[in-house]
Amino acid sequence: MNTPVEPDLPFNDLIDSARGDLAHQNLGKWLSDIKEKGRDDFYKLGWPSPKMESWRYTNLNKLAKTRFCLPRNTELDKLPDQNILPIDAPKIVVINGRFKRELSDLSEIGEGVLVNSFQDIRNEQKKLFDNKHYAMPPKEGLPVAALNEAILSDALFIEIRAGWKSEVPLHIVLIGYGDHIGFSPRIFVSAGENSQIDILESHAGDTGSTYFSNCVSNIQIESGARLGHYKFQNDTTTSTHLALTQACIKTDAVYDNFVMSVGGILSRNEVRSLITASGVECCINGAYLGTSNQHIDNTTFIEHAAEGSRSREVYKGVLADRAKGVFQGKIFVHPEAQKTDGYQMNRALLLSDKAEIDSKPELEIYADDVRCSHGATVGELEEEHLFYLMARGIDAESARRLLVEAYLGEVIDEIQSQKIREILSKSASDLLKEKLFESSDG
Amino acid sequence: MSILSIENLYANVGENEILRGINLKIEPGEVHAVMGPNGSGKSTLSYVLAGRDGYSVTRGKVAFKDKDLLELEADERANEGVFLAFQYPVEVPGVTGMTFMREAYNSRLRYEGKQEADAMEFLKLVRSKAKDLNMSDDMLKRPVNVGFSGGEKKRNEILQMAVLEPQLAVLDETDSGLDIDALKLVADGINALRTKERSMLIITHYQRLLDYIEPDHVHVLADGKIQRSGGKELALELEANGYAEFAGKG
Repeated sequence: MNTPVEPDLPFNDLIDSARGDLAHQNLGKWLSDIKEKGRDDFYKLGWPSPKMESWRYTNLNKLAKTRFCLPRNTELDKLPDQNILPIDAPKIVVINGRFKRELSDLSEIGEGVLVNSFQDIRNEQKKLFDNKHYAMPPKEGLPVAALNEAILSDALFIEIRAGWKSEVPLHIVLIGYGDHIGFSPRIFVSAGENSQIDILESHAGDTGSTYFSNCVSNIQIESGARLGHYKFQNDTTTSTHLALTQACIKTDAVYDNFVMSVGGILSRNEVRSLITASGVECCINGAYLGTSNQHIDNTTFIEHAAEGSRSREVYKGVLADRAKGVFQGKIFVHPEAQKTDGYQMNRALLLSDKAEIDSKPELEIYADDVRCSHGATVGELEEEHLFYLMARGIDAESARRLLVEAYLGEVIDEIQSQKIREILSKSASDLLKEKLFESSDG
Repeated sequence: MSILSIENLYANVGENEILRGINLKIEPGEVHAVMGPNGSGKSTLSYVLAGRDGYSVTRGKVAFKDKDLLELEADERANEGVFLAFQYPVEVPGVTGMTFMREAYNSRLRYEGKQEADAMEFLKLVRSKAKDLNMSDDMLKRPVNVGFSGGEKKRNEILQMAVLEPQLAVLDETDSGLDIDALKLVADGINALRTKERSMLIITHYQRLLDYIEPDHVHVLADGKIQRSGGKELALELEANGYAEFAGKG
């Protein structure tokens, strides 16, 4: 029996059972090494507490006191289609953190896109982790990423070959299913030179399930590539979603990231992008809708480490009931990153007296020839807008819905992919009707 | 039956009594002008008729045809056929003119228990209305009033009125902020919408709008009360002598 190194940290049980996960024994020592390393890092970094600057507004104490176990089952007869975005695209299905090839549909994916998982590492007897594109990035200050590795059960490796321009988006459907289970989806994307693709991650749960999804995505975008990376987080109302996306962007590449958070009792989406070269266009945008007692955290970090790149960041959210939103956005400009063009805007609409937003924009600039601006607004629906709509015959509820939809629509319009824009716009409209405006027509 | 019948109407904005006993009757097809100095209660009257929050009626009655107008919410009044053309049309970011007007139009149809118009049907309707008014429907693709010039905003109001076909149009300071060319265009639009059944209440400070839209009756509003009523010649008299005669009355 092992003595836990740090008995005060949560999820010891989870980590211990991940160490002894029999299903993994035939995968080889490399996986135990990753988990071992993840566990050590996690113990070193400690569990996020509100005393840590980047976790000041999101308290995980309650989550830490909740017991989760590893998923015993990753079989699911039927996908909860009603919770998944209806998009006509090749589909990668991940259940409780594990890739399910038999539920996926990769027939139209095209020869320039390769999808692998741990299963393939075993089959091909080669270590995908040796591929330089899939190197594990450093985890300083990121305990959640360390936990992801400590309980890792599978990972997706998506490679877009150099020069491949995909006509169709790729839909990754991540489903949580079970009662008080904890799992850690892991996604590696490598967009080769001058490649192009849109990837949509849909995070949802089987209705009635309660889980803790601790998801990490590592994105490598080579020179001249264009990656649209979109996420729809619609986990079940009792679940927790803690996610980290780390992107590394090279010369003249475009990274268009958008996160739409609507699900879960507690969610945090942390997007960190490192601009390593010039000519990069990096868009980190998002929309959120919080109702009842949801807590939705969007934390972003954009690092300009080279001259002449552009970043743009717009987040807009709607908070009703007792929902709480957090926005933390930092732009860091290195001394050598002259001619950086950075823009950041965070806006929140509060629909009730008890809804709350904590907003912390931060610029840290060490170059002198840069253009960086940021702004934040918090507001309510304006009486004069409502009256104008009502004076044209639109009832109060429908007027509110139209205005809220328009408010979110403005940020959804930031999405560069028309197909994804349309689907998220439709879904926002449906969700508003379902969650906020049940009684209104039209 | 009168279209609008206002009897001894008193109204407050917050604690302040602004309207102090207004009486006014408008018959089908009639155009009435209410003129008055700043602060006389003109805009308050238009908001009270449209049902804006914060404008409270303390005494009196307002009947719209056979309905007690004051019992209805703002949207119900609009669906019954009351239209307020705003002095300052509101900019609504993110909502295109087309969406806005279709919602409005369909609200009316729903209110009347009729089938809603689909996107194509409605587009055809709007295009033909815009054509009648000599207007381009381009502005409907943009968010409502956002970045519009003063003239465009007022013309947009008139187009909305044409689509919604109200029984009573209340035009609040429609001439404000317009140069003479824009004023003429807007007035042409309003004249095109004059019918034997449709009544209009034109609220204005200056007489110049009435050069283009000829009223049947003119009323002078000062200190929250109608001080004098007459025919269109009263407007000319006011233009010549100003409102000094009515100052401090009430």
